[in-house]
Amino acid sequence: MSRAQLTSTVEQNTGGAVAPFVAGKNFLVNGLHEIWQRGTSGTVSQSATAYVADHWWGTRFGGAAGMTMSQTTGANNLSYGLRAQRTAGNTDTSIIQFGQNIESLHAEPLRGQTVTFSFYVRAGSNFSSSSVTVGLQANTSTDGVYFANGGWGTNFASTTLSSANSNLNTTYTKVTVTGTVPSNAVGVCVVFLYSPASGTAGAADYLDVSACQLEIGSVATLASRAGGTFQGELALCQRYYYRQSGTENASMFLGYGQAYSSSQLYWTTRLPVQMRTTVQALDYYGLQVYLNSSGSGYGISSISINQSSSISPSLFVTCTSGLSTNTMYNIFMAGSSSYLGFSAEL
Amino acid sequence: MENVTFLDVTQMDGTTKTFAIIDRGNGEFTSMPKADYEASTLPSNSSTPQAGA
Repeated sequence: MSRAQLTSTVEQNTGGAVAPFVAGKNFLVNGLHEIWQRGTSGTVSQSATAYVADHWWGTRFGGAAGMTMSQTTGANNLSYGLRAQRTAGNTDTSIIQFGQNIESLHAEPLRGQTVTFSFYVRAGSNFSSSSVTVGLQANTSTDGVYFANGGWGTNFASTTLSSANSNLNTTYTKVTVTGTVPSNAVGVCVVFLYSPASGTAGAADYLDVSACQLEIGSVATLASRAGGTFQGELALCQRYYYRQSGTENASMFLGYGQAYSSSQLYWTTRLPVQMRTTVQALDYYGLQVYLNSSGSGYGISSISINQSSSISPSLFVTCTSGLSTNTMYNIFMAGSSSYLGFSAEL
Repeated sequence: MENVTFLDVTQMDGTTKTFAIIDRGNGEFTSMPKADYEASTLPSNSSTPQAGA
């Protein structure tokens, strides 16, 4: 088995046999859906945090409700896949779409190249759409976001999934889409898009995908992690989002901040990897400010970015009142469900 | 149901910055600069997605 046979019909490789797991071969981050920092299920809305599996976005056109994304079993002996589901009982027929935007820096080597998007897909027994469009799109806007523009434009490659086409069943089926990336592409996106039929969603009105890979060449090879190893993949995901949560320690101290008024303190923290850009948004739940010397806890009313940074952001933490100026306070998790997330997603 | 409020925060240099605080309704919050929030919520009301090739 040579690399030439596996990855391309045109490239040659005289280096002998090479395993099909090569870091960076897969241009999709978290293509095996192993990283779920935000949790393994979530409701999708029109807001900016329509991410559940790391770096995979989902949205419903028009900001309609009634869509979730969650972890499911994978294909081809993989543990996990990604499920997009219309909530049982929902009657809205607004388009459901999910996919991944590839950062411009990562997409650059794809310009002008023949690429193949491969994945496994299956539909729930109540899947109500007659077909699913799978599109590969490119745009000319640095780090552009597909769903922010209601779609970028024309697909440079696409396929239609349907039972009639024998590529959409209740068991996983492997599908490949091949095309040529425009030479002027600045960003690339893969997207799954479908319209639920009229009527009420059943309990299994979902679409599952697994083992997603976008690679250079016209032949689909075995899906692998973009980061090479699990730790590499995690670090890659943390380039876009990082969450500290209380699941391992329900009262974990996150760090110290200094009060500069009776209700606000500054806190600078260090991220595990440098993010794509400066931190764009925070999400949080169940955090408190704590004074060690008195054992007093203070509720947090908001957390916002003071000095943004891609590696060491400074935050404003606003409490109700009662802080002593220039005193150091601890920011800590008040329970196992507590978390603080930093986002630099596209 | 999400509830969005805008919060003015005075920074150390005395300038004021406005943040969008999105209340998810279950104790979860998302915070981002107001301009970023407004940019991120434009999409869903814009043109029809391009499904076809």
